[in-house]
Amino acid sequence: MTNPTDHLLRYRPWKGELNPPVYASWAMARSSLRLLFRRKIFWALYALALMIFFFFFYGQYLVVWIQMQTASQTVNFGAMPVKMSELTKFLDKLNLNGSPHTFGNFIWFEGYVAMIVLALAGAVLVGNDFQYGSLPFYLSKPIGRRHYVLGKMLGIGAFINLLTTIPALLLFIQAGLLNDWQSYYIDNYLLLLGILGYGLLLTVVLSLLLVATAVWVRRTVPLIMIWSGLFVLCHRVANFLVEVQNLSPLWRLIDLWNNLYLVGLWLMRADPEAVKLGPQPEPWQAALVLAGVCIGSMLYLRKRIQAIEIVS
Amino acid sequence: MPNSTLASAPPLLLLEQVSKWYGPVLSLNQVTLELNAGITGLVGPNGAGKSTLIKLATGLIAPSLGRVTVRGRDASDWRTRHSIGYCPDHDAFYEEMSGRDFVRTMAKLNGFHSSQVTARSEYVLQQVGMVERADRKLRGYSKGMRQRIKLAQALLHDPELLILDEPLSGIDPLGRQEMLDLFNALAAQGKCLLISSHELEELEKLTNHVAILSRGRIAAVGTLQQIRELLDDYPMSVRVVLDQPKELAKSLLELDGVLGFDFTDDGLTIRARSPERFFAGFQKLVLEKGIIVREMEPLDDSAHAILGYLLGGSGKT
Repeated sequence: MTNPTDHLLRYRPWKGELNPPVYASWAMARSSLRLLFRRKIFWALYALALMIFFFFFYGQYLVVWIQMQTASQTVNFGAMPVKMSELTKFLDKLNLNGSPHTFGNFIWFEGYVAMIVLALAGAVLVGNDFQYGSLPFYLSKPIGRRHYVLGKMLGIGAFINLLTTIPALLLFIQAGLLNDWQSYYIDNYLLLLGILGYGLLLTVVLSLLLVATAVWVRRTVPLIMIWSGLFVLCHRVANFLVEVQNLSPLWRLIDLWNNLYLVGLWLMRADPEAVKLGPQPEPWQAALVLAGVCIGSMLYLRKRIQAIEIVS
Repeated sequence: MPNSTLASAPPLLLLEQVSKWYGPVLSLNQVTLELNAGITGLVGPNGAGKSTLIKLATGLIAPSLGRVTVRGRDASDWRTRHSIGYCPDHDAFYEEMSGRDFVRTMAKLNGFHSSQVTARSEYVLQQVGMVERADRKLRGYSKGMRQRIKLAQALLHDPELLILDEPLSGIDPLGRQEMLDLFNALAAQGKCLLISSHELEELEKLTNHVAILSRGRIAAVGTLQQIRELLDDYPMSVRVVLDQPKELAKSLLELDGVLGFDFTDDGLTIRARSPERFFAGFQKLVLEKGIIVREMEPLDDSAHAILGYLLGGSGKT
């Protein structure tokens, strides 16, 4: 049906098919990533993350190189000949050998950077939607509330994986190339799945938790305080209770980052005895705590994102 | 959609006995409203429940009681929002984005394929007159530019129902006329526009169909004339400029519905109860008596006056 005014204003009605709302979630995720990478202040933290990656990357290379160069050599201590390979055993402590602990440690350290960026960016990515009322712009589009949460989680998850899982996968590839690559990749395919599982775990838990806390406190400073409390204070308190007060290792369950680490190592089939901090709870106990955190966050989000306007 | 199909289709927007509480605060009280094609102004004082009604209509909040449907489908269903374009009052964006990026992002949220995002975004930017200014960051935009960008994102998916909250606020007079022309063009295409505005004069230029909200209730819905007719307690005042006021005054009291009159410098001010009957009788009277009326002006049938009467004011403008 055309009207004279159509011609006058050249208004052209839209006729065509639209994508399903999941695509909107992906569009939201890309916007979130753009916002994260536009902030120059974060680039110092990205540089730090890159340094950690290079430390592991060149560390792995160096360890293999030293061992190859000096494997057959011996040195004399007095009259006693000692093989060089015995002297370089301390390098094993660094776990720069393509073992599950290499990737566990790498993600542990990269995680600190990811945490700081997320604490700083949480308000920008999610809190502002509530603080300044831009949520109606999203929810007036043909998407459900779950698509909104999914979009935000995708953005945060993609960022976490860019800092943790993807570089860990590069280290995995490098470890294979430095060793007998065919046997390394075949023998360690479960490790590869474990790295991906660890990445997925980080994505789900951290993105849900960040969206929930950002929806709750909204502003940057309180968000940093909560995030620091969860990941720094709880870590210190757990160490103090278990190592200084000699309380049950179950107290470590209050340390969320440690729980992620434990479940991650379990996914990568790491030797549980070789976990770097002293007595630890069982991985299933840590997994239960993480599941509780996820369920709590989801319940909170379900309630909060329905109530756009509160009249006091 | 063919006209016959449209006629049998469920109402575009239907609120049935809708109430909304925010804790102990009753924001909307048993509101029933049905809208189809055309422009409807939503007017009422602050706190009357306009924002709540708009949020219910867009499905952003759910009613505590009653039902809100758009073309028969529950407004809270996300699929309904394919039919709704919403231009909110507040302008909270990602200030670091440019206007163009914002509209493009909103196009993606609407589900446009990546190949169509640019074309459709540019098209709506052109409609609201922002093509040349769209690359500036949103933080540098004036209030009027923000309004235009908000309107652009509401038009993206060519919705049947456009809900515009204070769309003219901050826009310069020339821009206002462009916007009014655009709204009229959209209404002429069979779209339904629900426009909340405090600027009653501008709203009157656009439509005379209004829904008046007061204290959470719909006080009146209809054209301004229909609503004015129903206000029996408030006689209408009409200023008449003529040369023989005494001659007219003699006959006036015989007219049905005339309550009284006052002499003015250039004629009379007449108070009548029923505007429709009064105007019909008045026309007949002046023709019979051969009285020359130079000017005639109703003093209180404007939206301002009607709103004033309904909400307890004097109604005089």
